[in-house]
Amino acid sequence: MSTPTIDSRILEDLRRVFRDGLGVDPVEPIAPETKFFADLGLASIDAVVLGEELQKTYGRKLPFSEMLADLGAREERDMTIGELVAFLRKNL
Amino acid sequence: MPRTTANGLTFHYQQSGDGPDVVLIHGLTGDLSIWFLSRTVSALAENFRATAYDLRGHGYTDAPETGYTSLDHARDLLALLDVLEIRRARLVGHSFGAVIAAHAAVLAPERVDALILSDPYFPSLRHLEDLSRWGHWQNFRREAEEAGVSLSADTWYDLTTFFDQVLHLDDQRLLAFRRAVGLPGLNRVLRLARTTCGADSKLEAGLGAESIARIAVPCLALYGEHSPFLSTADYLMENLPQCEGRRVPGAQHRAPEEAPEAFVAAVREFLENLGPVARRETCT
Repeated sequence: MSTPTIDSRILEDLRRVFRDGLGVDPVEPIAPETKFFADLGLASIDAVVLGEELQKTYGRKLPFSEMLADLGAREERDMTIGELVAFLRKNL
Repeated sequence: MPRTTANGLTFHYQQSGDGPDVVLIHGLTGDLSIWFLSRTVSALAENFRATAYDLRGHGYTDAPETGYTSLDHARDLLALLDVLEIRRARLVGHSFGAVIAAHAAVLAPERVDALILSDPYFPSLRHLEDLSRWGHWQNFRREAEEAGVSLSADTWYDLTTFFDQVLHLDDQRLLAFRRAVGLPGLNRVLRLARTTCGADSKLEAGLGAESIARIAVPCLALYGEHSPFLSTADYLMENLPQCEGRRVPGAQHRAPEEAPEAFVAAVREFLENLGPVARRETCT
């Protein structure tokens, strides 16, 4: 599968996990440039829960602790959905 | 997400790793994510089974209207250990989480192998601290002011006033506050503000100075180099039978956020150098 196809599938998975796992279903559909904290208004505790929901969805361990720790070290403390997609593509 | 019922409430918790049990307890208005963002969970999971949970009123745990003293929280913790079948644990608490850890060690010393007290201030030791050193509160006030919440300059870390103000914000200020903390953040603060958390957390609730001084398990008083509570740190080192002290360079009151690497290194070093059931004889 090509990278764009994989990415759009992952984005679909993410939209579903956000809706069913976290109860987030924004009016504007979630896009690669959507920001986790600034746009979806989520908190870091939601990122922890999201990580767990995604591991359940894909049935495998993902290095989410690392991702969260990197997030904690960022000045802006935010990440885009595109970054999340890239992280998943790399680790699935 | 893993949830379980303990003490009549549903708790959200996360577990990672294998080995002796370490339980991580966050502070007031926080949640368990602090242990992930600071890399504490992944570091400890290499040698321990690390369990982090959201306190009552916080994160994804239930928020009953009342019952927010350190005694209530310590009973929650012991009930949670029961349902998770954790017989004994090393407790790591930050800020009020450390007060809860200490209270649990007083209630059930046989279940606590060791304690890391990260920057607590104890209601019963309040007389030790000098209000003018309370830079953290001044910072908090400034942040709150920018978010539309006015707090008095001459009160101590006053959650009651803070909660009261947040509950009575006019629309414009509420919008500013929402912008500053995000909608879920706002909703969580409002949920906690409607409970007795603010007032309850100022109460001794049975954890007097004498009880604290009798905590005999190995203990690390881990304080930020610029913590407002260094008199409490000194008190703990002088009065607890097995308490050593350590400062986190560059940190004020929130070492897990302000200096996560140094914080985690100190936590690991202390926990990994404890024998499985060893009790050290000396007090540094």
